[in-house]
This record gives sequence, C-alpha cells and structure tokens, in this order.
Amino acid sequence: MSAEIVGGAAVAPPTTMTIGRGARLRQLAPFLPAGVILIGLFFAPLALMLVFSFWQTNEKLDIVATWSLQNYANFFDNPTYVRTLAKTIIIGAGATVACLLMAFAIAYFLARYVPRRWATIALLAIVVPFWTSYLLRVYSWQAILGEFGAINQVLMGLGLISEPSRLFVYNDASTFIVLVYVYLPFAALALYASLERFDFTQLTAAQDLGARPDQAFRHILLPQIRPGIITACIFVFIPILGEFLTPIMVGGANGLLIANLVSNFFRNALIPEGAAVAFMIAALVTLLLIVFRRYLQIEDVVARG
Amino acid sequence: MSTFDHRFSRRRFLQASAAVGATVSLGGITAACNVVGQQGGTFNWMTWGDHYIDSQLKAIEESDKIIANITELAGNAEGFAKLKEVKGQLDMISGDALWVPAYYDEGLIEAININDFKVASQLYPLAREFKIWTVPGGYLGYPFGWSPISIYYNPKFVDPAPDSWEVLLDPKYKGRVVVENQPEEIVAYMGKASGVEDPYNMTDDQLATVKGLLEQLKPNVLRFAQQSIDSVNSMISEEAWLITGNLGNEDRVKEGGGPEIKSFIPKEGTVGWMDAEMTVKEGANKSLLKPFLEKAEQAENIAANFLAQGRPLFNEAAYKILVNSGEKDRADRYLYNKPETVNSMTLKGPGLSTAKSIQLFNEVFGA
Repeated sequence: MSAEIVGGAAVAPPTTMTIGRGARLRQLAPFLPAGVILIGLFFAPLALMLVFSFWQTNEKLDIVATWSLQNYANFFDNPTYVRTLAKTIIIGAGATVACLLMAFAIAYFLARYVPRRWATIALLAIVVPFWTSYLLRVYSWQAILGEFGAINQVLMGLGLISEPSRLFVYNDASTFIVLVYVYLPFAALALYASLERFDFTQLTAAQDLGARPDQAFRHILLPQIRPGIITACIFVFIPILGEFLTPIMVGGANGLLIANLVSNFFRNALIPEGAAVAFMIAALVTLLLIVFRRYLQIEDVVARG
Repeated sequence: MSTFDHRFSRRRFLQASAAVGATVSLGGITAACNVVGQQGGTFNWMTWGDHYIDSQLKAIEESDKIIANITELAGNAEGFAKLKEVKGQLDMISGDALWVPAYYDEGLIEAININDFKVASQLYPLAREFKIWTVPGGYLGYPFGWSPISIYYNPKFVDPAPDSWEVLLDPKYKGRVVVENQPEEIVAYMGKASGVEDPYNMTDDQLATVKGLLEQLKPNVLRFAQQSIDSVNSMISEEAWLITGNLGNEDRVKEGGGPEIKSFIPKEGTVGWMDAEMTVKEGANKSLLKPFLEKAEQAENIAANFLAQGRPLFNEAAYKILVNSGEKDRADRYLYNKPETVNSMTLKGPGLSTAKSIQLFNEVFGA
C-alpha cells in the first residue's frame, strides 16, 4: 500500500500507524511489572484511602459513602492534630539530622580509613541489630533508659545521683534517642554506598590548589555524595512520620506522635476519620518527595548507576 | 490427518485432559472434605491471647487433629470491623458483652444451641442464660470469662487507701499511673469517675465534663501499656504506683517478684467485660468448632487458664477443681464463685459516642 497525497502532504497508511503504536507498546512492556506493582500497591491503596477519607462512620461502625469534608475539617479545626503533626515533623527532622551526622562520621571513617574487608565486617555489625525484632530492640531501651534501668544504675553507682532519675524515659527526648538508634543503620548504609565510590584524592588535589579543608568538603565531597544524603533523609525522615510503636513504648503519655492518633482511629474501626489524618501525612510525604527529587537531580543517580 | 489424529486432535486431547483433571480435583476436594469432617482440620480463630494455653491447643491437635489457626484480637471494635471485611475467612471470634448481640444484628455470627454442648453442663447456670446473649434461634456464643475493671495500687506509696476513680487524678501521683492503651476505655473510666451511668453512650455535656478529667489524668499517666503484662511489670518494678486492669493482678505482681499491691472497685461503679466465643455465620470450617470447644472448655483446661491468667471464668466445674487443689482463696478473692457480679457492671459494648470519645482522647493526649 502506498501513501496517499492529501493536500500536498503524504499521509501514512493506517497499517504504519498500527505498527508504530505496537512498537511503542513493546517498548513500554518492560515497565509493565513495575507499573502493576506501583498501581496495585501504591496508587490503588492511596486512592482507596483518599475516597474513604471523604466518607463517614455511622454508629454501627459501618462506613457510609456520604461525601463530605468533615474529617478534614476535624483535622484543621482541632489544633491538637496540627500541633502533633508539627511535633512529629520536628522530631523527625531532628532525628534525621542526628542520624546523618552520626552516619556520616561512621561511613566516612569506614570508606576512607578502613580496608574494604574490614569495612564490610563493620557494616555487617551495623546491620546485625536488624536481625532481632524491632519490638525487642525498643523494649531493650526501656531497660536502658528506665527509672531502674542501666543508665540510672551507672549514675547511682558513680555517686552522681542519689536516687533514680525519671528524666531519661517516657518523654520526647527518649523517643528521639530511640528513633535515632532505630534509623541510624539506614542512614549509615546509604551514605557508605555513596562514600565508598568517592575518590578521596580529589580532596587532596583541591587543597593542593588552595582550597581550605571545609571548602574542599563543601564543594568537592558534598555534591558528589548528595544522592546518598538524600536517600538517607528519605529512609529516615519519612518512616518516622509514621512511627507509632516507639512513641507509645518509650514516649509515655506525653510523647505521642501523629501516627498514634491515627492508630487510635483505626483500632476503633473509625476508618474514614483515620484515613483523613493518614492522608494528610501521605500528602506531606509526597510533597517532601517532590522537593527531594528536585534537589536530587536525577542525572546524579544515573551517572552513578 | 490420520484416524488417530482425527480422534485425538490437540483440542480434543486438551478438552479430555481438562475434564479428567477437573474430575480428579473435585474428587480430591470431596475426599479432603470428608477427611476434614471425620479426622479434624484447621479452623481460623480471632481471639485474645488469654483465651487459650499453647499446651491445651497442642493436646487437642494431637487427640482430635483439630488445629486452631489463631489471629490476635486487639479489641472489640477492630474485630467487629475486620469480620465485616473477611467474613467466612474466620470461623470463630471472641467478643465482649454487648458486642456479641451487635455481631448478631449485623448478620456476622449465628446462634448455637448451648445445651447441645456436653461441656456446657460445667458452666454456671447463669452463664447459659444471659438475656443479652439469648435470641429465638439459640445462644449467641460459648461463655468464657469476665471481669470488672479494678484499680490496683501500691500501699507503700498510695496513702490513704483510695476508693474512687479520683485517685488517678490526684497530683500526688504525677507520672505514676499506667493504663492500657485503650482510648475508648480510658474515656469510659473518666465517664464513670464523673458519675455517668453509661460511659459508652455519653452526651456532649457529659463528654465535656470527661474532657476536664482527662486533662487532669494526663500528667499522671506515665505511659500506656501495650498489654496487661506491661502494667503488671510496671507495678513489679515500682515504676507505677497505680494501674487499672482485670481481677487477679495482685498475684501476678507478687509472682513476678513485685511488692504487695491492693485493689478496689471504685465506688462510682466500673465497667467490665464478659466474653464469649462466637460462631462466624459464613465460616467455612465452623463444623470443627463444636468438637474443639468440647475439648478446650473442659474444666481442667479452664482451671489451668485461671491459674495462668487470674480472672474469673464461667466454668463452675473448674472452680471446684481449684477448690480441691487448694486454690479456693485465690479463686474467691477474684470473685470466681460470684458470677452474678457481672450484673452490677456497666458492660462493654458498641456505643453511640465512640467516635467522639476517640476524638476527645486524641485532643487531650495529642501534643
């Protein structure tokens, strides 16, 4: 079949268009599994949660499909939710910064000064706590920070305090400490993955050319490990926004975070009410990911494989 | 095409194979169903961790080949909502007091004939006749245990001896109270403290009063216990001086090496629970429940459960075993011989003010 001339322009026969579309579909085929997973496990639940968040629960705990903004209005009308979300963000951001600083020190030391074989063993030691249950690790902190815990025993043994202090547990500080402990390995692994590929002679070269150590650090090292830093932030900050077990176990009655309030709704079958608050967190996470992505600059990741 | 090819074309061959396969599969399924009926099988049970003892389940598995596949039940509301979703994927579910008729009204469970169970003759007669569990078609569940919520205190630190919910609000006990992480119940306790008759169905005015009490309670609460053993442990370590819980915590604290503690039922009244095992209407394996319960609810098992968990149960024959084995004092202290006490408690149930109660709790205990 030849192309027709219409108005002076060649119009391709329909079969050519079909082949083109087919080729494009074949090109997209490799993305199908990822697409199905993304839609099935991310977008569909998110959409479901969004829909639920506009519905209501009746007195029989049935979900009633009457559309309303009431659940969102409750969130914004009640300063507790906004305050608790703000507190969660502050604790999450603080814990992320603390994790980054500590993880950077660990990863830098391992990548620069420790032979690869020993670094692998050290990394394994960082990962080992993950082999035990999360619950067990958080429980163990009760035994460390508690009124009759290890810290108090040591301080009393040293004669620094005469009676057990209750300052170490069941407050925001203890929640912060345990969150840093729980998420530090994620940050350390992400940063180590970036730092081990970094050529440290670049720092020497920069200083040979007159850069101060802090300038070499800021202008040579940091830009090259930026993807690792961003990944570490994502691995630490975002899960903390959904943390409810650590606050309930070591945070005490005054240490609850936003996920605890969401959990109270879900445990009492108030799914739409919980979904609205959960969606506010999800919206915030999505917003943060968009921001992170702008700073991440995708070519950095691609260039590093 | 040869004659053979003609008679057994690929399509015919596949059709014939599919037919044979389906027949064999159906036969297998039918046979398996018969085997399950005759020789046991697995059923799905959503329940609280104190409704069974592992050794008891193992013994039933060995003798009757009935395996209980257990899912932990966190609370009544959660169980109710989950059963609505999964329906026939569960065969039996435990529930408290007024939640039981709520399950029935929703068409989620079916009534049983309690007198069909031989083991039911071991129950206190009153446990077979609760009006809230009786419907024209029978009885809504197999009765298990009950308890009022009591306040426990360490007399070394809590003085004078309290008799009211108000002790939980006393500024003297700042950071010394541990309550279980059950927001609706905590709101109900404060409802009782304020003199409300039915704390699961409070008016807005009553809720406003309760909010004031929750605000007083907040600084006193050290933490929320994830389960009752956490409350007991906090008394053992003397980290907490006051806890709330079911009957029987005195012995659990003492057995854990803790101090002598005392308990009381607040003068304003208290909330309480009595629970039952319910048969899920659409449960695929519900035929296993009767033979299972006939074994599981035997007096020996119930007496062992009482000694392990320490709150009264409805099996009267188990009480006699406890008396004969020198445990009368403990059983009587925990009102095991006074099941009629349930009639004086405000029973747990689905309430009209649940959503508002949770909002209120979040409002006070959030940041």
